[in-house]
Formats: sequence, C-alpha cells, structure tokens
Amino acid sequence: MRLLLVEDDTMIGESVLDLLRAENYAVDWVKDGDMAETALRSQDYDLLLLDLGLPRRDGLQVLRSLRARRLRIPVLITTARDAVQQRIEGLDAGADDYLLKPYDLDELLARIRALLRRAAGRAEPIYEHQGVSIDPATREVMAAGRPVVLSAREWAVLEPLLARPGLVLSRAQLEEKLYGWKDEISSNAVEVYIHGLRKKLGADLIQNVRGVGYMVPKA
Amino acid sequence: MVARPNYSLRTRLLWFLLAAILLTALAQGLTAYRSARAEADQIFDYHMQQMAMSLRSGLPGSGLGMPGSDLPEEENFDFVVQVWTADGLRVFESAARAALPQRAVIGFSNVQAHGTTYRVFSLQSRSHVIQVAQDMAARREMASKLALRIVLPIAVMAPLLMLVVWWVVSSSLTPVSRVRGQLAQRQADDLTEVGETGLPDEIRPLVHELNLLFGRVREAFEAQKNFVADAAHELRSPLAALKLQAQGLQRAHDDAAREVAVNRLTAGIDRATRLVEQLLVLARQQATAAARTPPEPVVLAEIARLAVSDAAASAQAHGIDLGLGPVDETPIRGHAEALRILIRNLLDNAVKYAPSGGTVDLAIGRNAGRLVLSVDDSGPGIPQEDRARVQNRFYRMTGTQASGSGLGLAIVKSIADLHGATVELTSSARLGGLRVEVGFPLAR
Repeated sequence: MRLLLVEDDTMIGESVLDLLRAENYAVDWVKDGDMAETALRSQDYDLLLLDLGLPRRDGLQVLRSLRARRLRIPVLITTARDAVQQRIEGLDAGADDYLLKPYDLDELLARIRALLRRAAGRAEPIYEHQGVSIDPATREVMAAGRPVVLSAREWAVLEPLLARPGLVLSRAQLEEKLYGWKDEISSNAVEVYIHGLRKKLGADLIQNVRGVGYMVPKA
Repeated sequence: MVARPNYSLRTRLLWFLLAAILLTALAQGLTAYRSARAEADQIFDYHMQQMAMSLRSGLPGSGLGMPGSDLPEEENFDFVVQVWTADGLRVFESAARAALPQRAVIGFSNVQAHGTTYRVFSLQSRSHVIQVAQDMAARREMASKLALRIVLPIAVMAPLLMLVVWWVVSSSLTPVSRVRGQLAQRQADDLTEVGETGLPDEIRPLVHELNLLFGRVREAFEAQKNFVADAAHELRSPLAALKLQAQGLQRAHDDAAREVAVNRLTAGIDRATRLVEQLLVLARQQATAAARTPPEPVVLAEIARLAVSDAAASAQAHGIDLGLGPVDETPIRGHAEALRILIRNLLDNAVKYAPSGGTVDLAIGRNAGRLVLSVDDSGPGIPQEDRARVQNRFYRMTGTQASGSGLGLAIVKSIADLHGATVELTSSARLGGLRVEVGFPLAR
C-alpha cells in the first residue's frame, strides 16, 4: 500500500516515515502543501496522511482541491488543531478521519487499516477464501488450518490484492505499492514474491490474468 | 487606627453631622433661653426703677398722693408699689394684701414675703421711700415665656436641618454606591470600563484609575489567552514527536535502529525543553509589558557586549565567527533584562542559521533619529514573502533544518513593541544572509 505523508514537522515526519515503512507501507513524505499537490497529481496513493498547519498551502486547501478533482483517496487528517469547530471543518472538507496529535502509533495504524478496508468496499476485517484466512490487523495468515508466516515484502504484495478482491493490479501498480520514491526496485521482484505467496498459500489464491496482471478472487 | 470592618463614609458623615446639629441646637437653645431670661430680668428691673422714679417726681413734697391713683390694681397685679415717709409711715400701697416689710436697702433686693419672693426696688426721695416690688414667680413665668418664644424656632429648625443634611449626604454618595453596585455584579472575567460620567470630582479620578487598571489587566488577560491558544497548538507537535520517537525506540529491533531512535528521542526532548524555555521567556516578557514598569535609561551597547559574550560559546561550537562591530554608546530608555533577551534571541537565530564557518556581526548606530541595533549573518536569509510571517509566534520556515521553537522572533517583536522599537528584516548587503534591524527611539 502506498501512502503519502504530508507533515511539516521534521521530527514527526521522520518518525512516522520509519514506523510506517517498518509496517511495510510504501511511504512518500512531503513537507508543504504545494509539494503535496504535486505528489498527488503525479502518483496514485492508497491513502493520504494530512497535517493541517502547513507552510505555503494549508492542509484544508490541499484537501478541498483534492476533492474538487473528485479523487476518492481516503484522507486521514493528523493535526494538533483540537477545537471541535476545526475537526468539523476538516471532516466536512472531505476528510475520512481526524486524529489528534499526539497520537498513539497503533491507533494510527488501526485507522489506516480501517480506512483502507472501507476504501476497498469491505467492512469485515478478515478475508477468507478457499480455506485461506487473512487478518490484515495482526497479519495472521491461516492456510488449511495451520498458520503461515509471510515475509514483509510478500505481505506488501498480498495486501493490495486482498484489499479489493476481484480487481486486477498490474505489475507496475504492485511495484508502486511496494516501493517509495527513494527505494531501489529490482526488476522481477513482484514475480518473485507472487511465486513465494503461491507456494505458501496455494496456487489458487493469486490468479494471473494474462497480459494484465494479478488478482485475488472475490470471497 | 482601629480597624472598622463596616466602615461607611455615609454612616460616619451622618452620625457626625446629625450629632453636631443636635448638640449645637441644644447649646444654642440653652444659651438663648438663659440670656432671654436674664434680659427679661434686666428689663423688668428697669421698668421697676422707671416706675419708682416717675412716682417720686409725681409725689408732693410731704403730702400724700391719692390712694386710688393711676395704677389700676388689676392690670398691675404683678407689681406692688408702696410709699413710706421718712419716719416710717406707709402713705401709699397699691395692694393692701401685698404689704411688704419696709426695707432700709436702697436699690434692688430680694424680699421674702407672703410665701413668695419679691424683687424690690427702693428709692429714697427727700421725704419718702418709694418701693416697687414684683413677684418673682410671675416675673420668671413671663421671662420663660419670652425665652421659649426665642428657643422655639431653633427647636423646629434643627430637625429640618438634620433632614436636609441626611438627604444631601445620601444623595451625594449615590454615585459611590452606584459604582459599587456595578462592580459587585461583575463576572470574574468582565473587565470592561465603569462609566465615568455623572461622577463627582472626588470619585471620578478613583474610577478612572480603576478603569486604567482594568485596561491593563484586560491586556494581560488577552495576551495570556492568545498565548495559551497558540501554545496549546504548538506544544502538541513536540509531544507528538516525542511520543512517536519513544514508540520508534520501542519497536527498534537492532542496536543500530535503537541508536537512531535514542538520538531522535534526545533531540525531541531538547526541542521540547527549548520550547518550554522560550515560552516562559515570552510569557514573562508579556507579563512585564502588561505591568508597565517604567523604563530606565540603559546603554544598549553595554547590553549588546554582554549578550555577545553570552552567545560566544555556542557560536564557537557551531564554528561561527561572532563579533561586535562599531557601537554607539547613546543611552535609551528601556528594560535591560528584556533587551538582553532580545539581542540574545537575534544572535541565537543568526548563529543557528549561519553555516559553519560563517559570520555573525552585531552593530549599533544612529539612523534617522533612531538608535539602530543590527545583526547580520551569512546564512541563507529569509525570502521576501516570508519576512512578515516569521515574526508571528510559532511560525517556522519551510525546509529549515534547525529545530527552533518558532518563538525567537516573536519574543524579539514583543520586546521591541514594549520599547516602541521597529523590527525590520532585510538581506545583509555585507554578509549575504539575513539582516535584522531593531530601531529604538532615542531618549529625549
């Protein structure tokens, strides 16, 4: 999953960046409103983490122009502005959730998962298909009744496919979910992880749509 | 003086004034009564004397006047007239039953007779002794009536006067109780002014001072409120950073990651510490401004030398050449400690943003009737569009790596405002970085 982090505070930014990467999200970090606009126009993101008090262009402006362009990306506002009026304004401007600083990292991660789940049109937290059950919150995967351990990269490939069963993702799209701007991409990485996943979870779970990409069948 | 828990100007005035009126009226009444009686005495005596003398001139050499003379008995009941010859024979008496003993005392005397006291005047003529007497009881009664007639107006006027005083005192003190009422009804945060119109000269200055005090308290209150609003927002960011850094440390799996996390956490704590310190400086500064302590003559150059030596260590640590240029020793009016903080913040900022090996210069000179303190640095400077905003509290420029509190220039601005000084940000022609000019009005 590829996230855009908009945060002008260097200390908060670098911490969140590292912690999200440790959770195998591909994260890009920008420090002001203009850069956020540019990033959102040049790249598809699965979720936007938006601070409000930004230099150059306020977070709310970024959000409004985003919604004006009919982008449906989930937006989670993280800010120190705590007044009820500001929260209402943020949500009414098109945010999906509002998290006050200082926040707990686990809560941030849970809200990110919830937003991603909702964006995929699902309400149930656990995905189940043909004897394979996957819990995105705990990353517990059960195949044929026994637990399976996935590597971080394998998980990073599986998650976007699981997020919207039935939707075909191209190799390039999967690569995007896998790597942030500064990461190096190896040419056949996606194939390698798909291969590993099929070995662990059975060949049926991830299906190849020839010439287009990969998908997980609808449960 | 004894403490009066319920000291009231009105009660005090009324008590004293009413008591004074009462005492004066009593004293006046008593004196009038007494002197009226004494005067009546004198007048009656005079009458008796005149009567005796007119009798003497009317008496024949040795003969008797007519017993039923011009003195009608009833009308002159109070008076008794007797005439004696030199050999002691009574030749005339106005009322038989009122016969008085013959008296040898010539002139006035009091005589006991018929169970009462008579005032007697005896006059010696060639052949007779003429005695005119008056019953003292009757005389006193008449004198008292006269005296009472004089005292009566006083007795009537005193209560009237007391009523008037009561009314004047009460109505004069109405504005005081009105102001008191206005103040008593106030909420704790209501610091609006009390109306000064319709107040007497004695109270208006008091209310005026009260309003000035309200104004000062209100300003301090507003400053504090704004400060808290800004601070509440800005304190969360360092705390958010600290929390994330702590969680980062918790999740670090190897030594290298732990070290990175610990370093970040330490930096976060340093930043929070700096913020708290700066907040306190700013709060103290605003409290000073609100208190309106009168400024004293200070020599800016001396404070500048002090501030430069304070900042020298940190400048050296950053590898920055910090120095004092030409300084003008003219004194200005100001607060030495606040000015030291102002200069220190300018120097700290300059040192923070100047690259290692850079230069920071402080100079003081005169320009257009102002004493201008300038700090030049060889740092990146501040773009034109950001220059106004950096003076706001908690504003930090984009992309700045230095982790300031965002309060430095706000503190400078606040202190400059206190001194009526202007703060201008320009680019340094000499060093290429930022130039901050603080122009102080010269003391006159």
